[in-house]
Amino acid sequence: MSLAPEVEILLVEDDPNDVELTLRAFRARNLANQVFVARDGAEALAFFFGEETHPLRDIGVMPRVVLLDLKLPKVDGLEVLRRLKADPRTRSLPVVVLTSSQEEPDIAAAYRLGANSYIVKPVDFESFARAVSEVGLYWLLLNEQPG
Amino acid sequence: MSPWPTLAFERRIQIGFGVAVAIIVAIGAAALRSSSATLESAGWVAHTLDVRGALERAVAIAIGAESDVRGYEISGDSAFLGEYDAARTDLNRLLSRLRELTADNPTQQRRLDSLEALIPQRIELLRQILEAHRRHRIAGAAGVMSTGRVKPFMDEIRGLVARMEDEETRLLAARSATMRARADETRLAVLGGTLLALVLALAAGVLVKRELGRRQLAEETLRAAQGRFRQVLASNTAVIYANKVAGETFSPSWISENVTRITGYGTDEALQTSWWIDHLHPDDRSRVLAEMGALVKKEELATEYRFRFKDGTYHWVHDEARLIRDAEGQALEVFGSWVDSTERRRAEAALRESEERFRLLVGTVRDYAIYMLDPNGRVVSWNRGAEQIKGYSAEEIVGRHFSCFYPPEAVAAGAPEHALAMAAEKGRFEEENWRLRKDGSRFWADVVITAVRDEEGKLFGFAKVTRDLTERKRTNELLRRHTAQLEAANVELDAFAYSVSHDLRAPLRSIDGFSQALLEDYAGRLDAAGQDYLQRVRAATQRMATLIDDLLDLSRVTRSEMTIAPVDLSELARELATELTSGDPERHVEIVITPDVAVRADRGLLRVVLHNLMGNAWKFTGKRSDARIEVGVVAADGERAYYVRDNGAGFDMAYASKLFGAFQRLHRVTEFPGTGVGLATVQRIIHRHGGRVWAESAVGRGATFYFTLS
Repeated sequence: MSLAPEVEILLVEDDPNDVELTLRAFRARNLANQVFVARDGAEALAFFFGEETHPLRDIGVMPRVVLLDLKLPKVDGLEVLRRLKADPRTRSLPVVVLTSSQEEPDIAAAYRLGANSYIVKPVDFESFARAVSEVGLYWLLLNEQPG
Repeated sequence: MSPWPTLAFERRIQIGFGVAVAIIVAIGAAALRSSSATLESAGWVAHTLDVRGALERAVAIAIGAESDVRGYEISGDSAFLGEYDAARTDLNRLLSRLRELTADNPTQQRRLDSLEALIPQRIELLRQILEAHRRHRIAGAAGVMSTGRVKPFMDEIRGLVARMEDEETRLLAARSATMRARADETRLAVLGGTLLALVLALAAGVLVKRELGRRQLAEETLRAAQGRFRQVLASNTAVIYANKVAGETFSPSWISENVTRITGYGTDEALQTSWWIDHLHPDDRSRVLAEMGALVKKEELATEYRFRFKDGTYHWVHDEARLIRDAEGQALEVFGSWVDSTERRRAEAALRESEERFRLLVGTVRDYAIYMLDPNGRVVSWNRGAEQIKGYSAEEIVGRHFSCFYPPEAVAAGAPEHALAMAAEKGRFEEENWRLRKDGSRFWADVVITAVRDEEGKLFGFAKVTRDLTERKRTNELLRRHTAQLEAANVELDAFAYSVSHDLRAPLRSIDGFSQALLEDYAGRLDAAGQDYLQRVRAATQRMATLIDDLLDLSRVTRSEMTIAPVDLSELARELATELTSGDPERHVEIVITPDVAVRADRGLLRVVLHNLMGNAWKFTGKRSDARIEVGVVAADGERAYYVRDNGAGFDMAYASKLFGAFQRLHRVTEFPGTGVGLATVQRIIHRHGGRVWAESAVGRGATFYFTLS
């Protein structure tokens, strides 16, 4: 197990530009190596509960924090969140919701489903990068796995 | 008792006094008679004494003559003879006197006859003695005397005289007795009469006293009645008057005093001949004067005219007059009464006007069928609206039962009767249902039936108002459909706003992010101009992001649910002031907030309003060192207007109409940043509260934004 590549951050994001920019922000803080990216909700769910055939999946390895975009193709972010928080294996996993929306129903729904944090993606990339990396780091440190 | 009451009091008094006077006269007569009888009886006593005196003197003279003769016989003295002659004369005189005295008494006359016969015989005898003596000288004479022939004569005379005296005495006694009896009668009559007169006088006195009392009472009653009459007249609204009639002319003779209270004229003025005619309204004068002629013909007149009161105003007066004629049919006097009818006429005119208005209103209403039913449900009246809606003309429908307006199934179910029964019981019946037109087509009707009752509460009929709601029913259906469509569109709009917030922002973020990445990673290969362009790209994306956020805010403000509750506006303003000052601590702004301004509003939305207005004030005072912001309340057009005032840049009122439109800006962005959505948001929130928002300003003199909340 210790040989397996450690996944520290699971980024669930469909927009390749956002992915690139987020990874760039993580790179700036030397976190990019431990980031796994899911391009839609289905892929994210497959990561946790999917078939053995998932190419990038290493069974039994849990990311230390999930950054989850709400607006996703196939299965939307709120559904992913619901499934994660419904399963005992993933329930304790910290989930930070990322969205470009300030719409209150989204925020309320996310918190109701057990989201640990909520970040509205600012258009200003600098603040976005700062917010993402700070929140990511926070949960990484808080959720430090023993050993 | 029976004749008395029918006699007038005066007659009774007259009779009473007449009787009393008669009695007093009778008493006087009796007394007079009694006193004359006393006098007469006294005369008779004297008469008796006279007769007796004469008789005694006659006897004495006869005896004296005898003595004289005897004296001559004895002495021969001729002196005795002289006396004897005198005695003879005296005797004759006495005898004739006695005859006079006893002329009424035949018995005494007869005795006197005998006496007159005896006394001359005695005198004759004495004469013979004397003759004899003269012839025979002394001796013979003695012989005659002594013969005794003289003596029986004397006795006879004496006896006769005594009988006559007795007779007189008896007569006296008889007369005295009669006299006394009469005196007793008189006394009795006087006494009785006096008593009777006294009683009568007493009775008359009582009668007079009683009558006086009665008259006094009657006078008091009359006075009281007169007093009441005066008061009634004084407080009456009718002026009473009397006119003397002489031929064709009337002259006022009396007028009740209330004329002063009512018209302002004194009674002395009102009694002047031309007073009435002088104050008649010129337009009414000829008519009223013509009507006066009718008074003479018809004996009575009721008319109305305008009359000028003392204060100069004309009042309508209702005048009713009656002509009084004497027994010959000659017009004597006119009596009348006179009431100020201005108020009544005004009320009547108002009533007429209101009735006319009502009639016009009901008659000309076309959209409502307004008509009356009798208590049995038969149509009594019909307006144009009823004609229009139901298709019947008034001639066709009046008198028919209103159940013909109901569809057959409703009639079968007893709906018309039920409607009337409910209206009669509850006063009003209302329903929306199908009704029939004359052509048999149906229409959806709103029907109100109201029971109409008279003052005693007796059912007088029903007022029925029917409205054709067919069109409205259709419109309502349409409206419902449209509302549903609108609601669907709103849901779509929500979804749209949602995707805008996600999908428009994401590319912006990329543009900004990669521009930043270029600046960071390729700074060395970009010259200053390239770097400036990238900075401009970034600034533009920022600005577009702000626009999107503001648009979303505006949309949220329109769609969110409102919860109206009491809000302390002053406290809200203080919170926002703190946010503003802490967000920009470099600036010094004086913020003055009127305390305890309480309003009813949605707290969240009100916060957005104040946030925008105070934010604007903060922004537009940015170039002033003595910036001042005021929040307070004033009264405007009877409502409370809340305001936010600043002493900042202000704006030209010519552009005030553009203030509240979305994306409308009155300043260049480089001058003051902003998207122009804030005031549009404020206006939407205020409109959702049912209020108004407006602004007052001048360039360089600050601005005041007012808003009201319903």
